[in-house]
This record gives sequence, structure tokens and C-alpha cells, in this order.
Amino acid sequence: MIRIANVRLIAATPLIALLAACGGEASEEAGDGAAGAESAGAPPAEIAQRQDNFEGIGDSFKTIREELETDAPDMAAIEAAAGDINARLQRVPDYFPEGSSMEAGYDTEALAAIWEDPDGFAEATQNAITASEGMMAAAASGDPAAVGEQVGSLGLNGCKACHDKFRVDDD
Amino acid sequence: MADKTEAVSIWDVPVRVTHWSLALLVPAMWFTADNSLWYWHTRLGHVLLALLIFRVIWGFVGTDTARFRSFVRGPASVLDYLRGNYDAKREIGHNPLGALAVIAMLSVIAAQVAMGLFAGDPYDGATGPLNALVGVGTADWITDTHEWFVYAVFGMIGLHITAISIYAGVRMQNLVGPMVVGKGEVAVGVEGNSRASLGRFLGAAVVAVGVAVWVWFGAWPLG
Repeated sequence: MIRIANVRLIAATPLIALLAACGGEASEEAGDGAAGAESAGAPPAEIAQRQDNFEGIGDSFKTIREELETDAPDMAAIEAAAGDINARLQRVPDYFPEGSSMEAGYDTEALAAIWEDPDGFAEATQNAITASEGMMAAAASGDPAAVGEQVGSLGLNGCKACHDKFRVDDD
Repeated sequence: MADKTEAVSIWDVPVRVTHWSLALLVPAMWFTADNSLWYWHTRLGHVLLALLIFRVIWGFVGTDTARFRSFVRGPASVLDYLRGNYDAKREIGHNPLGALAVIAMLSVIAAQVAMGLFAGDPYDGATGPLNALVGVGTADWITDTHEWFVYAVFGMIGLHITAISIYAGVRMQNLVGPMVVGKGEVAVGVEGNSRASLGRFLGAAVVAVGVAVWVWFGAWPLG
């Protein structure tokens, strides 16, 4: 009987472990650093705020690119999205308090380079804002081809240039 | 129970290597994604792609127990199995119920890998090699689905490990051993697996690796 009980326990172990893993996930999530670093404590609220903000920029940028893929792009929607990107980019500097990097142990892809090279980060942010202004002007002109040109400018000079230097991105 | 048993071959080497590679690669894929190691995520993803393609081809040209035709049976066989009309000492390979799990496992992993090929955003980090073949909105939807669908993969793995544990603990049947060493105990007189053909193995491997490399470079002329 003891043998059977033991074997049943062994059989149940993965199940128990699975349940424990599921239960523990939510609490571990908060401190799970992007590079597996130790948590530095409760994450600053700005991390979630900037992530929401960048998500919003990404969504608006996708709105513009999706409209361009259609036969008759909705220029009003493009203009609204361009304005949203510009407004969100203006807020970027507010969301990077010192020490909220991935290296500080938070679940973020923001590299310490942001604070080691503040001028470079400010310049990259400004480049993105400038590119978004170009996008707003193109959207206001009502010419889809002009918007198409600005997609490359904003995507490469705005988004990608900054990501390459200041965000974990090793593809 | 008093029947004498002997060890015969059950799983061929390619099946075992594919199996344990999946067991290592799936967690590695999750780990690399969770830690933003996109360089490795995309490369290991293509190794996974090659393995899946190989396993599917091997399911047609491989040894008896590797072939889908030999283990995927109809609902009647599955019901029969569930009623207990199955002697694990007299049959080798996947049982009718386990066969369904094999198909489900391969399908969810294949779906996850396929989505990864189209996932991402060219202005926002890594992209799968076929990302440009679909529109921005489609790629975005695929990326989101790729992110949560990993839980379907985890679910299948949980089911898989739970089933193995039940066989080990309740039915006193060791399924892990044969998957490691290839051989398992069956009643004397029961025939083992057929032998693997080196030529067919090489053919399947070349096709699988070739397709994965072709996809990696953008699936010309589709891309």
C-alpha cells in the first residue's frame, strides 16, 4: 500500500508543481526583470505609463500604415493618428525617471544608456518629434503618397533609431 | 501479468531526437521571448521549424511507430481503448488516445511557429522572415495571437506530463524509458519496430533543413 501511495504522489508531483507555477506567476511577474536581473523593489509608475504611451504610438502608427494599404486611405483618421503620435512623443521625457532601467532590475526594455547619454536620448526623442511633425504636415496635405514617405522617416529616424540605441533589441 | 516480457525497439533514433529537441527548444523559445533575446528566438524558431517539418515527413516515410498511418486511428479505436480493450504489452507505439495527443501537440507547436514567421513590426524590433508578406493589421493580430497562444502550447505540455505521470503512477507503465533508450518491454513474441532507412532519413532531413533555410531568407519568390 505504501508503494502505491508513493507512486501516486510521484504521479501527482508535476500537477502540483504546475498549479504552484500558475499560482506563483502573478506575484513573480512584477519583479521579473527583462534580463533576469534581481528586482530593485516596487517598479516606478512611470514604467507602466511609458509602456502604455509607446503602445499607443505603435497603435497610431499602425493605423496610418493600415490606412495606406487600403485603396482609399481615410486621411482624417491618418491626421488624427499623426496628431496622437506627436502628442505622445512630447510626453516621452516625463516617463524616464533615473534608475528605471532594465539594468536596475525592472521588467522593462529601457537600457541604462538612456541616463548615461541623456543628450543622445533627448536628441533621439526630438528627432522622433520632428518626424511626427512631418507626418502631421503630410496628413494635412491630404496626399497619401506624402504620408507614405513620412512612414519611412518616422519609423526609421523616429522609432527605430531610438530603439537601436536605447532599448533592448538584439535581433 | 505472468507473461514473460522482452525488450524490443519501439522508437527510432530520429523520433527520439526530435522529441527531446522539442522538449528543450520549446522552453528555450519561451525563455528567449520573455527576455527579449530576439536574435536567438528567431534562430531557434527556425531550428524548431526544421524539426517539425522533419517530423511530419518522417510520419510518412519513417519507421512503423513513427508513421501517422500506423498510429492515427478512428474514433472507434479510441473508444475501444478507453473501454480497456488494449494490451500495452502486445502493442508498440502510440496508443489510439495518445495518437490524438501527438497530433494536437504537433499542431499547436506548428501553429505557434507558423505565426512567429509572420509576427513583429519592421519599425519595432524583431520580425519573422515572412512579416512583409502580410499587411500591418494582419501582422499585428498575428503578433498578439503568437503572444498568448504560447499558453495553448503550455497546456499541451501540462497534459502530456500529467498523462505520463498517470501512466507511471496508476498504470505502472514507464513511457519515458523507451523514449530515452528506444526499447521497451513487451510480451515475448511481439515484434519490435521496423528499422529506419538512412536514405529516407537523409532525404527528410535535407528537405526539412532546406525549407527552414528557404523561409529564413524570406521564402523567395513569395517574399
